[in-house]
Amino acid sequence: MGKQLKILVVDDTELNLRLISKLVTSEGHLSITACNGEEAVQKFLSEAPDLILMDVMMPVMDGYQATLRIRELAGEKWIPVIFLSAKAQDQDQVKGLEAGGDDYLTKPVNLTLLKAKIKAMQRIAEMQRVIADNAEQLASYREENEREQNLAQHLLAKIIHNDEINNPLIRHWLLPAANFSGDIIAAAATPGGVLHIILADGTGHGLTAAINAMPVIEVFYGMTEKGFSIASIAQELNRKIKLILPTERFIAATLASIDLSKRAIRIWNGGAPTAMFVSTEGKILHQWRSTQPPLGIFDSEEFDGKTDTYYWHQSGQLVLFSDGVAEAENDAGDRFGAEQILQALSCYGENEQFDGLKQTLEAFLGGRSGLDDISLVGIHCPMEYAGETISPEHEEKEFNFRLSPGEWKLNICLTAAELKSLDVLPLLMSWLGQARLTQKQCRELFVIITELYNNSLDHGILQLDSCLKTLEDGFDRFLTLREERLAALLQASVEIELQRQRREDLEYLVLRIKDSGQGFDSALIQQCDIAAQTGFAGRGIALVKSLCARVNYLGAGNEVEVQYLLK
Amino acid sequence: MTMQVQVNINADKATLAMSGRFDFNSHREFRAASEEALKAQGVGEIAIDMEKVEYLDSSALGMLLLMREKANVANRKLVLLNCKGIVQQVLEVANFSKLFIIQ
Repeated sequence: MGKQLKILVVDDTELNLRLISKLVTSEGHLSITACNGEEAVQKFLSEAPDLILMDVMMPVMDGYQATLRIRELAGEKWIPVIFLSAKAQDQDQVKGLEAGGDDYLTKPVNLTLLKAKIKAMQRIAEMQRVIADNAEQLASYREENEREQNLAQHLLAKIIHNDEINNPLIRHWLLPAANFSGDIIAAAATPGGVLHIILADGTGHGLTAAINAMPVIEVFYGMTEKGFSIASIAQELNRKIKLILPTERFIAATLASIDLSKRAIRIWNGGAPTAMFVSTEGKILHQWRSTQPPLGIFDSEEFDGKTDTYYWHQSGQLVLFSDGVAEAENDAGDRFGAEQILQALSCYGENEQFDGLKQTLEAFLGGRSGLDDISLVGIHCPMEYAGETISPEHEEKEFNFRLSPGEWKLNICLTAAELKSLDVLPLLMSWLGQARLTQKQCRELFVIITELYNNSLDHGILQLDSCLKTLEDGFDRFLTLREERLAALLQASVEIELQRQRREDLEYLVLRIKDSGQGFDSALIQQCDIAAQTGFAGRGIALVKSLCARVNYLGAGNEVEVQYLLK
Repeated sequence: MTMQVQVNINADKATLAMSGRFDFNSHREFRAASEEALKAQGVGEIAIDMEKVEYLDSSALGMLLLMREKANVANRKLVLLNCKGIVQQVLEVANFSKLFIIQ
């Protein structure tokens, strides 16, 4: 060590003060003196010494009083105090130590001993400093960690945007084991009005588990919105989770589809606790056990998205819960267990079963949280549903990802209203997204479709002169004119046809676009594009020609057909 | 109580005898034992004996999945033995019989 200390020497005898001070300075330390307790306190406040050598018997204020006062003033910080006193009895030592002294030496003072004690105090003071530093660091890490958790929680809540969860038919309850729940509950409706619910439980709990479950949400909402069935959603979720998460992580999930007009519940359960349909009398009318491993384990080929359908003939509640419920422990360490769950659900009354389970569980936990995240969902399934009637044509689209896509044809006709407001290209691209293309193919097709569609719209229908772009500030003018003419459009149509064909063991995508214009000269456009050398570098009909196997202009020039080779 | 794993190698069969709680704290022990079994020469089958396992959670399932992957790569057969009580329950709900040979 060898760090220089500032030592306060307190004694009412001048001789002792000089003697001790001399010892202190000979050790290389700084010495400050005080001749009574009161002066000692003052000097403590003004000089902030590292160590105090305190006499006991002094006028005005004695050593014990002074030490007590100094301890009060020092607060959290520790200043070593060594008493130097003529009082040699054990009880004097005890009194000294109890008054807040850290050590006690009897007078006449053994100077060698005093030297050694000062060194010892120095070591302890250093240790204290390190501990205090560590504590401060720890406190600031904790604070930062909490801030980050709060932010993450905020973000997660935004991503999970539980809109449909505000549906009065759905009751839910989330009790995280820590700050964060790793369980996800989401609900959404298909365009046909069928309610989809997912209860997902990732491995572990807390922030890591919540992150695990995030890819699930977007897929769930996106596909439900498009009208996919839960079998297809399960298939896609499995594929995505297997892709994104490491081998040892998976997501146990229950996917439920509730059709209120057909009174049908369809469920896929992989690794989650049994889902139950409970009548208003508290009787369990149907159960859905886990029949598959959790999501993210099987390959797409091995995966089975098969669901089990139940039609209800009396009103009741569909109850779903995560495995944190059975795992919940009370003060005595007993598990809540499957039996208690059944017991709690067997209460009488419409919609009572969810509440029954929730209240019983809360009472069992006694205000604490569980070992694992707890989630509960209850969906009321009435016999008469006074909501919107669903027309029978809105059947759920089933896309079977296991078969290779055969020949299909998509035909769209857009009129003026759509041309003005509809985002046609993303629509077409999302259809193509189902066709299982490589990234390269997607990009190339995007270029082809964009170019041809824009030509039809700009030159065929809006009759914009491509050569306008070659003029100075022609681009701005071009765009302004385009906007004006598009807004003023009354009568127009663009017909788009996409077809997948097999010809002699080769697979093609054939795109045909026909617009209601009078036709335009594609060659002229090509010239102008090159001449303009605008930001559309690399695009233009020339590029389309290079990407396609065949490009044909038909009719009066208002129809184009291209053939793109897939494999 | 940390989980204990004892590795026994007998000719072409390696056995991992596990005891205690098989949860996320068991990560190191399990990995060390599985690595030993996988490295052993001439071993065709690795058996994981769950007789003395008191408890199994989802992290344990994850560790088993990881081992399954490694065993596949190393061309070893993986078998789960003596699964009873809560261990059997957990494996059943997770439908691990579709992934592992359970005896």
